[in-house]
Amino acid sequence: MLILKPKFEFDVSVEAELTPELAEKSLEEIKNFKVWYGNAEKTLGELFDVEKEGDGKKLLLDGDFSKVKWVGTGMDDGEIVIKGNIGANCGAYMKGGRITIEGSADDWLGAEMKDGEIIVKGNAKNLIGCAYYGNPSGMQGGKILIEGNAGNYIGEKMTGGTIEIKGNAGDFIGTEMKGGEIIIHGNCGYAGGDMKAGTIKIGGEFDLLPTFRKSENGWTGDVLVGGEGRILKI
Amino acid sequence: MLWIKNGIVIDPKNKIDGEKMDIFIKDGKIVDESEVNKDECRVIDANNKLVVAGGVEMHAHIAGSKINVGRTMRPEEMRIVRHTANKLRASIGRVLLTSPAIGYEYAKIGYTTAVEAASPPIGSPHTHEELDAIPIVDKAMLPVFGNWHFVFKYVAEKDREKLKAFIAWAIERTKGYGVKVVNPGGVEAWMYGGNVKNLEDEVPNWGVTPKEIITELVKSNEELDLPHSVHLHCNNLGNPGNYQTTIETMKLVSGLANEKRQTLHVTHVQFNAYAGSSWRDVASGAEEIAKVVNSMDNITIDMGQAIFGHATAMTGDAPFQFTLHKLTGSRWVNKDSEIEGGAGIVPIAYLPKNPVHALQWAIGLELGLLVDSDKVVLTTDYPNGGPFTEYPYVMAMLMSRKMREKELERVSPYVQKATSLPAIEVEKTLYDVIQMTRSLPARVMGMENKGHLGIGADADVAIYSINPDDVDPAAQYELINSEFRKPVYTIKGGEIVVKDGAVVAESWGRTFWVDARKKVSLDSIDEDLNSFFNSYYTIQRKNYGIQEEWLRNPVRVEVN
Repeated sequence: MLILKPKFEFDVSVEAELTPELAEKSLEEIKNFKVWYGNAEKTLGELFDVEKEGDGKKLLLDGDFSKVKWVGTGMDDGEIVIKGNIGANCGAYMKGGRITIEGSADDWLGAEMKDGEIIVKGNAKNLIGCAYYGNPSGMQGGKILIEGNAGNYIGEKMTGGTIEIKGNAGDFIGTEMKGGEIIIHGNCGYAGGDMKAGTIKIGGEFDLLPTFRKSENGWTGDVLVGGEGRILKI
Repeated sequence: MLWIKNGIVIDPKNKIDGEKMDIFIKDGKIVDESEVNKDECRVIDANNKLVVAGGVEMHAHIAGSKINVGRTMRPEEMRIVRHTANKLRASIGRVLLTSPAIGYEYAKIGYTTAVEAASPPIGSPHTHEELDAIPIVDKAMLPVFGNWHFVFKYVAEKDREKLKAFIAWAIERTKGYGVKVVNPGGVEAWMYGGNVKNLEDEVPNWGVTPKEIITELVKSNEELDLPHSVHLHCNNLGNPGNYQTTIETMKLVSGLANEKRQTLHVTHVQFNAYAGSSWRDVASGAEEIAKVVNSMDNITIDMGQAIFGHATAMTGDAPFQFTLHKLTGSRWVNKDSEIEGGAGIVPIAYLPKNPVHALQWAIGLELGLLVDSDKVVLTTDYPNGGPFTEYPYVMAMLMSRKMREKELERVSPYVQKATSLPAIEVEKTLYDVIQMTRSLPARVMGMENKGHLGIGADADVAIYSINPDDVDPAAQYELINSEFRKPVYTIKGGEIVVKDGAVVAESWGRTFWVDARKKVSLDSIDEDLNSFFNSYYTIQRKNYGIQEEWLRNPVRVEVN
């Protein structure tokens, strides 16, 4: 296991593509791992206290990581545990393994992820499981669980996998959705705009677009794009 | 001064096929041995290496509003970082490269000249600004004429003198190089939601037909004796059955002759070579087209080869782009350029297993293989068919049947019945592909100092780690494919810009433009110009066009 603690409070964002494989490297290699601090290239050791306990594929990020972006990007195995908040793009392009965030997550959580699991104990912001601008598909598989609330644009263009939000969410849920499942236990705004397939389950209040037709235990649409997606009440 | 020693030269224009010789360079030109002082020369040892002229790209979309809108609508393209800034500028892009990347990537495959093949005339100041931002390569651009209201008017009035005057005026104002025509009449019809389907269809409100537009433009172009012929994107592009329109179009110029060059260049023919009646029974019409091209001595074509992977369709053919958008469900941008034409942009990815994409890939190769090597230029119609950085792949494919057989295994079996590619035994030689990428495109464009290594030619040279005496391209296709991607040297205007496949210096090429004003009476169209500008344009006539001194490095080519 590799334990990282920020050495100081970051003024600007840090771009650090940290994956659990890092924990298997030698301490020296880890300390020399390149990250960006604003527009300056730095080593991991310059920004973080690095400690190693055994060779397990696990990262423990201890402290405030809310300005640290791209943690867990593209990871395919192992585990990351974040004791505090985490910055944007956490778990983007993830292919496997697990990320547990004990604090809150920023935008683009699990964007375009293919498999694996992300659990957030606090809240998450916008664009969870989305496609990056211009790409045709968002989240394709895996599971994201948010125990708190979430922002806007959840699961845009997703084609598979599950996003579950225990609290409330914002507007534009499952826009252009092509598959998979979004579950919101609380309230949310407009859901399912231009959705072609997939399921959105909502426990609380939500806004329904006029382009959905009533069907068995819910609504089907978006008819604007000949879609067969389903919005269900739970 | 440079002395390229002991290289094995292939120079089709000068009929040199694998001769061991020395090349001398002074003041950006290739000179005779007697002109240089050998003691002062920097010597490049080209022993056992292939020495050829720098590649000439005669049809690509590298600058102007289309590619720029494409870049805006495809943010995903901008995530591919090719290299970060250091001595050179940062360059990014997957298929839609940024301007610095275009210059670097051409140089990195040994190309030193590139022509922007379609610029809306009113957008020419912007096109030139972007061309000026492309490093290394020499440039030129072709304004589009086929849907310009002035052209319709003079064709309808059968007034060729005025049409000639208008062409000369327009090329000077846009600092263009020749006459480009895109889907003549069809883009105008698109302004009313339609298109033209064949050469006899009338253009709405004008009473002229594509046939008349093409014929009159070709005749005017020939009477003006411009260095380049009419450069035509045929009607009916991208529709099954269109190979017949293409053949009919080619036959329009039978009987016309020009001893220096072709009288009509038909571009990206792959997109215009489909047989069948719908996308269900679409097949290749390449064999028939090849027969016609080979039988005529005044036609040249380029391939428009499709490359598997990401591409972006962008053409002045707006109605076709709408069709493609409906066909693929992909994003679409439509552009209108006042009374001059339009354009559209659609992202696309060619997939080997998709029957239509595989067919397009096969048709491009069929054209490259079946048409004589002095009549077909290698292009991908960048970025429509794919990136120009894949030219080495196309070169290797043309030279090796074995490679084609291997590639055929991974594509949709549809090509087996719909094309003749699997049965084609032709294997082009190194001489052929050098001709298709150097001497022929230079001749097609009327650029006398390009594409060859004779005395007086521009000192644009590419040196590859390929020994023509030793290599069997048919068997060693992997070597061909990899070595053409990383020249040992690319020399542009006498300066070494690439070494061992990496860009080592940034230079700035020239922009060629053609001045034919002496051959016409500009006064004859003065009133018409004033009246059209007052009535239909959003800008004043005196603000229209571009001054020579605004260009970074202009070269005026005067036609007398």
